[in-house]
Amino acid sequence: MTTWRRFARFDWVLFGAMLALIAIGTVAIWSAGNARAEAVFHGMWRSNLVTALVGLGLYFAIALTDYRRLLDFLAIPAYLVSLVLLVAVLLVGDTIYGGSRWLWFFQPSEIAKLCVIAALAFFLGDDRLLRGSVRRGFRGFLLAAALIGLPVALILAEPDLGTAITLVPSALVMVFVAGTWRKGLVTLAAIGALAALVVLGAVYEAEKPGVSPERRARILKCVPLRPHQLRRVRVFLFPERDVTGAGYNLRQAQISIGSGGLTGKGIGKGETNHLKYLPQAISMNDFIFCVWAEETGFVGSIALLTLFGALLLAGCRVALVASDGRGRLLALGVTTLVFAHVYVNIAMSIGLVPITGLPLPFISSGRTFLVMVLCGLGFVQSVSLHREEKQS
Amino acid sequence: MRRDSALAHLTEGLPCLALALVFVAGLLQLAVRLKEVQVDDAADFSYASARQSLRRVQTGGVRGRILDRHGALLADNRTALSIVCQPAQFQRRTWEATVGEIAAAISNVAETIGRPSPLSERAIRRHVNQSLAMPLFVWRDIDEGELAVFSEHEREFPGFAVEETEERVYPLGTLAAHLIGYVGRDRGESEAGDEKFNYFATELRGRSGLEIYYDSFLRGVPGERRVLVDARGFAMREWTVVESSGGPDLVLALDVDIQRAAERQLDGQRGACAVIDPRTGDVLALASSPGFDPNAFVPTLSRELYERYAQDPAKPLLNRASGGAYAPGSTFKPVTALAGLVAGFPADETYVCDGVFTLGEMRLHCASRWGHGPLDLRHALMKSCNPFFCNLGLDIGTNALLRMSREFGLGAKTGLDLGVDMAGVVPDADWKMRMYGEKWFQGDLAQMTIGQGMLLVSPLQMARVAGAIGTGYLVTPRLKADVPVERRPLRVPAVFLDVVREGMRMVVDGDGESRGTGWRGGEGVPVAVSGKTGTAEIGRGESRRKNAWFIAYAPSEAPRIALALVIENGDSGGGTAAPRVGAILREIFGTQSGEGS
Repeated sequence: MTTWRRFARFDWVLFGAMLALIAIGTVAIWSAGNARAEAVFHGMWRSNLVTALVGLGLYFAIALTDYRRLLDFLAIPAYLVSLVLLVAVLLVGDTIYGGSRWLWFFQPSEIAKLCVIAALAFFLGDDRLLRGSVRRGFRGFLLAAALIGLPVALILAEPDLGTAITLVPSALVMVFVAGTWRKGLVTLAAIGALAALVVLGAVYEAEKPGVSPERRARILKCVPLRPHQLRRVRVFLFPERDVTGAGYNLRQAQISIGSGGLTGKGIGKGETNHLKYLPQAISMNDFIFCVWAEETGFVGSIALLTLFGALLLAGCRVALVASDGRGRLLALGVTTLVFAHVYVNIAMSIGLVPITGLPLPFISSGRTFLVMVLCGLGFVQSVSLHREEKQS
Repeated sequence: MRRDSALAHLTEGLPCLALALVFVAGLLQLAVRLKEVQVDDAADFSYASARQSLRRVQTGGVRGRILDRHGALLADNRTALSIVCQPAQFQRRTWEATVGEIAAAISNVAETIGRPSPLSERAIRRHVNQSLAMPLFVWRDIDEGELAVFSEHEREFPGFAVEETEERVYPLGTLAAHLIGYVGRDRGESEAGDEKFNYFATELRGRSGLEIYYDSFLRGVPGERRVLVDARGFAMREWTVVESSGGPDLVLALDVDIQRAAERQLDGQRGACAVIDPRTGDVLALASSPGFDPNAFVPTLSRELYERYAQDPAKPLLNRASGGAYAPGSTFKPVTALAGLVAGFPADETYVCDGVFTLGEMRLHCASRWGHGPLDLRHALMKSCNPFFCNLGLDIGTNALLRMSREFGLGAKTGLDLGVDMAGVVPDADWKMRMYGEKWFQGDLAQMTIGQGMLLVSPLQMARVAGAIGTGYLVTPRLKADVPVERRPLRVPAVFLDVVREGMRMVVDGDGESRGTGWRGGEGVPVAVSGKTGTAEIGRGESRRKNAWFIAYAPSEAPRIALALVIENGDSGGGTAAPRVGAILREIFGTQSGEGS
């Protein structure tokens, strides 16, 4: 196949939407950084852009290489290295905001996400490693559970529930599409969803007005949530209750998004951001969407959602046209990971899900995450570039 | 593997399509919710955003000036420079650290400009707690030297700036100080029930005199500024929404020249003088001595200075002219005379004065030790014969005298447009019983006929009495030039008034043996003057003192001026007060002789 033919398979929508999102992220980080008093944040957009360029280098390197070869060579070593890093961060990591998530200049948990996806695709994508009956059976499921469970357990130990949870949709989708133990999987997923609902219902039952303190304490004792998680769930269920305390972040997030109105206050002119009502510590990360939504309004929000939609649908199309199972799983895993982040991040700032510390892909200023997402999309692009033409 | 049937391929592709649907559904859900937040509820959230980040500040306008009837400035404004501190420049993690940072910065500047900081750490903390978004005024009204030093080093002091404020200035210093009053600096306040503003810029507010009486008039229309504050409340940006407008000028009926003349005559004494135009009620002068310089109260009245004034036994802050309460002494006799005439006492009946009036155990001496001999009412006024009026009073009774006193507005506020407006006392049986638990005796009546005893009046009230006798109607005195003239005719027949007028003319007129007690009140005055002397005795034995009075109106035939003057601890009305009134009248009619208004 000539280079020219390959070039025609390059997914321009996937690539273009990504570039546009990086541009938006640069602007949003510039604005959020300028609002900070500390001068070090004023240049954050620049270092983020540099990171994006480095990430784009990796993106092309991965995209232009055949993903099959990459998986063959790298899936297992990368997975193991990520486990080592996760252990290392528990032992020597920097503690920030109550969790030790940082190792030197990066977050191993972000790298682990991509490594788990690659490993799942490698093992479950086709029958080359496992016999079909094994791969689709309970043993395949146990292997997948181990591949996912090890890093998730380590991430939960940091503790970083949000990051651990984002892996779940990708893993579910990949295992399901691979056809591994479908009946059990569906049952398990249903049980999980039911359990989440039960927990939510229990917290609501305990916290709703008019419940006696004794009853409340009795119910909450059975709820498997840490205090800060319980607080977030409570704010999610009763957002009006404590807008200056626990509910402050959500309230300010909504004020900043809502006050943006239809067309926004203008780039760099978001008041809740620049007057520091929006929590400064996380305005560049978890709450970056608020900065963008306040300054560009509903129009800007929809533009952002449209770009993400284009990116995600392009990812699905790559999965659809992928010429083998590994490519398909890889594309679906990465796309689902991006979607999970986008959905949870935006939904939490408008009160649709409890507040969770998750970055918004391409827009938030987390550098490890940005590089990881770029690499992931590089794999997707590689799947698109290295697909075989179907024979008619 | 690669040769999947079309059906198998479709089955494997289905999850991808389903997932795409899930993605689209998720994003649509976000879009719908975003539409609610950003479009449907945008107004609510915009309001919430503004409410938490906007502070509305009421700014006071420049105070109106105060001028006399000829345009002479009595109270003016000058631009004063102050060094202010913007707390936003000194943000630290904790409030306590912020306060410390500000305090340290202030003492830094203090060292450079060589003026100690007037603010305690407590004051700074209070500002940080309560008015964080507002500039903190550190040094008010700095002088040129301090300004020069500060400007030179301004770059070294980020967060400090020079701000202009308006300060009050009284160009004529002590002149009419009691009347004009002075101002203080106050945190502004909202109208009742008005919660519109978060902050009020400090503004000048009247503390006494006209400054307080016409405070709302002078203040003008306040403006509005908005301050954008950050999440901690520090000011980030501010702008003006409504410019404040200056208050209107207060034009007085007062005549600075007459005021000056009156004050000159009181100089070095304790006393007061009220000069009015009896036709309109215009207060031409309202002088009180000793006085004070209101400029010393700018920019702020120091506690020590105020204590010194407040504890001075001479009471320099008291406006004696309208707020002093004195026994009128013999200046009350024209009122007694009118009461007698109205009650039927014949104008020409003579009475023989033997120098003393005896009533039971009480003996009232006449000014003339050996008695005036036989005299009628006009001459009794002219010579100020005590026994004559005591006799007259007993003849007509208490009620007739009370009625006439009240007819002249005694015992009631004059209606002067100034907070200081002493009603005085016109004592009656009820009043005495209330105050002293004693019955009203004939002796009380006898004392009252000659303006002694419990009767108390202010000089302004007596100027009004003099004017009313001269013109036939009682005016309400006014300080502001355009207050409508208010006057009512005396309910006294003109013939009786004429008798008293003749008597009061004789007080000033004549020479040699036939001259009246107040002849010096008309000395050298180019117009005919009518008046009445008074020497009110206060206290007994060692503490016995005399207040010297003179009331007058001029020209006698068509009065344009009515006045009353009292000197505390004087010798006599004729000797102490009358010559001073003469000097004032010479000043007036010397300057006014050509006009004849």
